Amino acid sequence: MSIIIIGAGEVGYHLAYRLSQEKKDVVVIDRDLDKIRRVQSTLDVQAIHGSGGSISLLRQAGISEAGMIIAVTNSDEVNMISCLVAGVQDRVPIKIARVRDPEYSYLFPLFDKEHLDIDFVINPDHEVVEMILKLMEVPGAVEVVDFAEGQLRMVGIPLSPESPLVGKTLAEIREMHPQSNILIVAIQKGDRVFIPKGHNVLAANDLIFSVMPLKKTREALKIFGNNYTAIKRVMILGGGLIGLQLAKNLEEKGIQVKIIEPNEARCMEIAEKCQKAIVLRGDATYQDILLEENVSEMDVFIAVTEDDEDNVMISLLAKKMGTRRVMTLINKVAYSRLVHSIGIDVVISPRLAAVNKILQFIRRGKVLSVSSLPEENAEAFEVIALETSDLVGRPLREIKFPKEAIIGALVRGAEVIIPDGSTVIQPGDRVMIFALTTAIPEVEKALMVKLEYW
Amino acid sequence: MSFSTLLNLLGFLNLILAGTMVLPLLVNWIYGEPHTRGFLLSIAATALSGLFMMLIFKRSSRELTHRDGFAIVALGWINAAFFGALPYLFTGSLASLTDACFEAASGFTTTGSTIFTDIQKHPYSVLFWRNLTQWLGGMGIILLSLAILPFLGVGGMQLYRAEVPGPTTDKLRPRIAQTARILWEVYVLFSAAEVLTLLLGGMNLFDALCHTFSTMATGGFSPKNQSIEFYQSPFLEYAITFFMFLAGANFALHYRFLKGNVKVFWRDTEFCFYTSVVLLATLFISLNLWLSIQKEFFQAFRLAIFQVVSILTTTGFSTADFENWPFFSQYLLFTLMFIGGCAGSTGGAIKCVRIYILLKQGFQELRKLIHPRAVLPVKLGGKVISPDTLSGIWGLFFLYLFIFAVASLALSLLGSDLLTSISAVAATLGNVGPGLGTVGPAENFAHLSIPAKWILTACMLLGRLEIYTLLVLLIPEFWKK
Repeated sequence: MSIIIIGAGEVGYHLAYRLSQEKKDVVVIDRDLDKIRRVQSTLDVQAIHGSGGSISLLRQAGISEAGMIIAVTNSDEVNMISCLVAGVQDRVPIKIARVRDPEYSYLFPLFDKEHLDIDFVINPDHEVVEMILKLMEVPGAVEVVDFAEGQLRMVGIPLSPESPLVGKTLAEIREMHPQSNILIVAIQKGDRVFIPKGHNVLAANDLIFSVMPLKKTREALKIFGNNYTAIKRVMILGGGLIGLQLAKNLEEKGIQVKIIEPNEARCMEIAEKCQKAIVLRGDATYQDILLEENVSEMDVFIAVTEDDEDNVMISLLAKKMGTRRVMTLINKVAYSRLVHSIGIDVVISPRLAAVNKILQFIRRGKVLSVSSLPEENAEAFEVIALETSDLVGRPLREIKFPKEAIIGALVRGAEVIIPDGSTVIQPGDRVMIFALTTAIPEVEKALMVKLEYW
Repeated sequence: MSFSTLLNLLGFLNLILAGTMVLPLLVNWIYGEPHTRGFLLSIAATALSGLFMMLIFKRSSRELTHRDGFAIVALGWINAAFFGALPYLFTGSLASLTDACFEAASGFTTTGSTIFTDIQKHPYSVLFWRNLTQWLGGMGIILLSLAILPFLGVGGMQLYRAEVPGPTTDKLRPRIAQTARILWEVYVLFSAAEVLTLLLGGMNLFDALCHTFSTMATGGFSPKNQSIEFYQSPFLEYAITFFMFLAGANFALHYRFLKGNVKVFWRDTEFCFYTSVVLLATLFISLNLWLSIQKEFFQAFRLAIFQVVSILTTTGFSTADFENWPFFSQYLLFTLMFIGGCAGSTGGAIKCVRIYILLKQGFQELRKLIHPRAVLPVKLGGKVISPDTLSGIWGLFFLYLFIFAVASLALSLLGSDLLTSISAVAATLGNVGPGLGTVGPAENFAHLSIPAKWILTACMLLGRLEIYTLLVLLIPEFWKK
C-alpha cells in the first residue's frame, strides 16, 4: 500500500520525508520540475512530474493500489479534485486534502461519504491560529501541545538566566518541589535534544520540555521562574487569512488588538469583520507606524505576513523598540533554525503545524495524538496501554524501557498521573510518551503497538 | 566526499564478489578440476580485503551526495575488474595482470572481447567464472548490492543514477531497494527461461548456463571457440536471437509487461525505434548476403538477423566470421556498434533513445529554418525532453566520439592497423566484443601490446558507465571540498 502525495511544497516535501523515513512507499507528484528534482535527489521516494488532477498520471503513480492520497498543492481546487478522482475512480481508502480558502468552509458538510468523500481536510492557516492562541495561553513557552483531550499539557520553555532552576540538577529540583506533579521529559541544549537523568544540570537558555496536568500550568510557570502576567495588548502584522482569524479570536477574549495591513481594500474587509480591533493601514517597514501605535507597550507582537523576510525583520524591529515578546511566522524551514539565535521568541511554522496535524490524523486509532519538535528529531505521542504490552501491570522501575524515550504521564479517567518508579500502568490508561526519533522502533516494540497508519 | 563511507561500501562490494566466486569453485569440484587452491585464494583475498575495509572504515551517518554516488560506482567497477581478475591469475589461466584485468573488465562490463586464444582448453570452472562476471555486470553489481543492501535509502538513488544507463532514470517503485530487487527479479526470471529453452534445444547444462549468462547480460563470452556457430542449430540461434533482443530492451518495459500491461512495448517510442533498426538492418544485410555470397535467402536471413541483433544489443556472439561478408554488411554492423540497445537494458553503446532524440533534434533544426518563430520542443512519446536532458545527451554523444577518436589514434600509434584500431575501440567502448581486422569474431585481443590492452580496458569501463560517471572522477574539482 503506497501513499501518494500531490504537491511537493514545504508540506508535501516534509510529509514525504517523514513517511519515507518510516519506510513507507511514497509517490510524490508535482508540476514544478525543480521541486521534483529536489525530491528525487534527497528522498527515497518516487517523484513524478505532472498535474495531480490528471487521471493518467495518477494511474502511472499507481493510484489503484494506493492506500492513501494526500493532496497538498497550493490550489484548493486541485486538491479537492484529486481526492475526488482518487475516491470515485480508484477507491483509494483514505483521502486528505488541504483547503485554505475560508470561503470553501461552506463545503465542509459536503466532504462526507455521500458527496465529495474526503476523509480529512486540513487548513494550515487554521492550525497556525490555533497554535498561536495556545502559545499565548502559556507566556514564555515556545511549544505547547495538549494531550488527552486537553487534560494534559506539554510545554517547551527556554530557561531564563534569572530562573531559580538554573544550576540545579533535576534531583535537586524534585526535592525542592516534591508535590509539584511536573516532569521534565527532555532538554534541548543547542541543537541536541536528550532525555535527562537526575544528575543533569539545567543551564540558562536550555529549552526544557515538561509535562503537567493542564490545571497546573500556572504553578509550573512559577517554578520555572516565569512571571505570569496576562496578555492585554497584542499587535498583529499582516491582515491575511491568519491575521484576521487571529484578530477575531483575540478580541473575543477581551484582548486589545491592533492589526497592521498595507492594502486599503483588505483593511476595509478586516474592519468590517472585526468588532473592536483597531485596523491600521500602513507599511510597517517604516518605523513611524510602530512608534505611533506604541509598539513598546505591546505584550505580544505577532508577524504573520506572507513574506518571511518582512516577518523576521519587523519582528526584530518591534523587539528592539520594546515589545515584550515577538512571535514570527516563518515558512522556509531553513530559516527557522537561526531565528532563535537572533532574538525572536517564538517561531511559528505553518508547515510543521500542517504536517503534525496530518500525521496525527493518519495515525489515528492506535496513536491518539502526536507532535514533533521543530528539528524533527523527537516526537511526543499518546497511546492507549494494551493488555498485551510489556509496560502493563508492573512498577515502572522493573520495566526495560528504551533509554532515549520516557513516559511523561498517564491519564486514567479524569486523573492525570505523573509517573515515578513505583507507578503501575493499567490496561486502558492513556500513556504519553516522549521519544527521540531514533528510539521509536524500540518504543513500538515495548508497546506492542506499531505506529502505523490505517 | 566521505572517503570512509566510500571504502566501507567498496568493502561490502568485495564481500558480495567473494560470495559469487564460490560458484565457480563448486563447478571446479563437480568437474573434478585441480583449481580448488586458486579459487580459494581468490575468495580469501577478496573477502578478507572486503572485511578489512568494512571493519576499519565506518560509514558516516550523512546521506550520500551525488558526488559520492559517482565515486562509489566508478571505483566499485574498477575494484571489481581488479578482484575479478584474481581467479584467472591464481588458477594460472592467464599469466599477466594486464591480461587478467582485461578479461575481468571485459566480463563485468559485458563487452566480451577476449584474451583467450583457445577457449576450450581452459578449465570449466574458469570459463564459468568468465561468463558469470558478465551476468553480474549485466544488470549491475551496484544494483545487486542495492537490492541486498536496503539501508542506503536516498544514497541508493545516487548510486542507481550513476550506474543504470540512460539519459533519465525512473524508479519503478517508490523505494530504490524495491526497484533494484524488481529489476534483478525480472533478470533472473528471463535467465531461467533462457536456460530452459537452450536445454530444450539440446545444449548441455553447462553450456546453457554460460550462454544464458552472456546473452541476458548482452556480454558475448562463449565457452566455445566458434561461439554459437559451433552448434549449427537454427533453433538455438533463433532462441538466442530472441533473448538477446529482450536483453537489449528496457527492463522497465519487461516489468510492466509482466504486470499485465501488454501494450507497453508498442507505446514506447524507443522500443519501436529499436525494433525498426533491427528489422531494417536485417533486411539490408540479408539482401546483401543473398545477392553476393549466400544462395538461399532464408540462410542469409538467419545469419543476418542473428548478427544484427548480436551487434546492436552489443552482445557480440557470432554464427559466422562476418569479416568474410561484403563490405556493405561489415560497415553496417560497424555502424550498429555505436547505436546499442535501449536505455535501461543490459546493452551498451550510445543507446537507441539518444540516437532517436538526436535525430529528432536535427530535423527540428531544419524545421526551424522554415518557421523561424516556431516553438519546437523535442518530444519523446508525447513528453517534452527538457533542455538539461538534451544538452546532457549532446555532451555524451560528443564525448563518446571524442574518446573513440583519441583511443583509436592511440591504438594506431601503438602499431595496430587502421581497421583494427578503429573497430577495437568501437567494440570495447560500445561493450560489443569482437571488432574487425585482427580483432574480428574469429580472432582475439591477445596479440595487442600491453598499453593497448589497458586503453581498451579503460574504454570498456567508460562505455559501461556511460562515460560521465568515470570521467568526472578525473576532473580535479570533483575531489575538492
